[in-house]
Amino acid sequence: MKHESNDKTKWLCDKCQRELELAKVKVRYMEGNFEVDLMKCPTCNQVFIDEALALGKMKEVEEGLEDK
Amino acid sequence: MEKSCPEHGRFKALLWRGSIPIEKWVRNKIPATIETPNTLVDQGCPFDCGLCPEHRQHTCTALIEVTQRCNLNCSFCFADANRNYDQDLSMETIKLMYQSVMNTSGDCNIQLSGGEPTLRDDLHLIIAMGHKIGFSFIQVNTNGIRMGEDEAYVKQLKEAGLNSVFLQFDGTNDEIYKKLRGKSLLAIKIKALENCQKYNIGVVLVPTVVANINDDDLANIIDFALDWAPTVKGVHLQPASYFGRIPTLPDEQKRLTLGDLMDKIEAQTEKRICKESFSPPGCENARCSFHGNYSIQGNKELIPMNQRSQCCGVEKAEEGARKAKAHVVRKWSGNDLESADHLEKNSEGQSKDDWDSILDQINCYSFSLSAMAFQDVWNLDLNRVKDCCIHVVNTEGKLIPFCMYNLTDKNGHSIYRNQ
Repeated sequence: MKHESNDKTKWLCDKCQRELELAKVKVRYMEGNFEVDLMKCPTCNQVFIDEALALGKMKEVEEGLEDK
Repeated sequence: MEKSCPEHGRFKALLWRGSIPIEKWVRNKIPATIETPNTLVDQGCPFDCGLCPEHRQHTCTALIEVTQRCNLNCSFCFADANRNYDQDLSMETIKLMYQSVMNTSGDCNIQLSGGEPTLRDDLHLIIAMGHKIGFSFIQVNTNGIRMGEDEAYVKQLKEAGLNSVFLQFDGTNDEIYKKLRGKSLLAIKIKALENCQKYNIGVVLVPTVVANINDDDLANIIDFALDWAPTVKGVHLQPASYFGRIPTLPDEQKRLTLGDLMDKIEAQTEKRICKESFSPPGCENARCSFHGNYSIQGNKELIPMNQRSQCCGVEKAEEGARKAKAHVVRKWSGNDLESADHLEKNSEGQSKDDWDSILDQINCYSFSLSAMAFQDVWNLDLNRVKDCCIHVVNTEGKLIPFCMYNLTDKNGHSIYRNQ
């Protein structure tokens, strides 16, 4: 159950220079709380969300929770 | 509201009652502009509907009454249907009506209504034609009798692309149906739900709420709806208005307002649903409706998914209409869960991940609870008329705000219907 990105680039945390790793991250939007796998710096916990995810499923979830 | 007329004297009408003050039920909007009006301003609101250039909101839902025939003869009927001598609209006329909506309002939500639309054997062709013209969401407004009796018909509607059913559902016991509809109907409504479940058609339960008849059954209706989730997507309450065919002239004490309904829901559900979870609409005038969105948890617990909108600030009416249309499509459509891949694959054929599971939860286990108060000749407010987003299409292709299309005076005369 991992987010599959076609982008196989290895990402480095600019601040810590450590390679990002997939880790469980708590996401909160509106009143919804979710736990998902995201790329994260093992040192500073900075999370990286790639463009495909931000404009794809993440946007779909945001729209699904959007009120009218 | 107090009104006076030089010819008929003074009148009082009840607009709002309940623990939430009417002054708090606001959502300010920058009016939308109708780019291709079908009528000119001549006599002034509400006599130039079409839409006219002074209208302030786009179409969210366009209604087409495909027949005036009906297989019930209800005491309350805004359409005053059961005129079984009327000719049904021809396919050519319906096509012109669809095209006029597309020209004026673009791809909005379509509701096929009546009369009882399922009395037409060619309803599937009407649905297919709507999709072909470019409408992505088509809903049928029905009493459910034929949908309960005729499974093959339901299958045919689904195959034609029916997205959702707006099911007349006044209560959880037959005493209510006998009083409002003249006979026991609960068993056939359940049969209709079974058929919609079988073919993955989303259903919204729509009670007409009348004081002392079914206003004490609201929590039971909500519980019933939750038992039928995810086929049933929500409950949409319509407090009775006094237009079309009505049993008596209004007794203002018995009139139910949106404020009354919010209080009753909170009390009857013993605060399982709190009135704070309801918001005024971003599309139509705030005083026309309320709504709440919830996530269904185990034991039918409902978690509110929207906090009440901010009362400060101003939003664009146009944006409100866009959101309302998208919201209805997402929340009231059926979920096609029957595909064998559903449990493991997402819509793009990839293995499911956490985000897909969240989307499943949002799409299948969300629940909407809403109410819309229609206006009648006694409580009419032209500001609400100008902000209306629910438009009935007449045979000339004009779009008439719903309450104006159905408005009748004390003697039953209308200004738009049958004109």
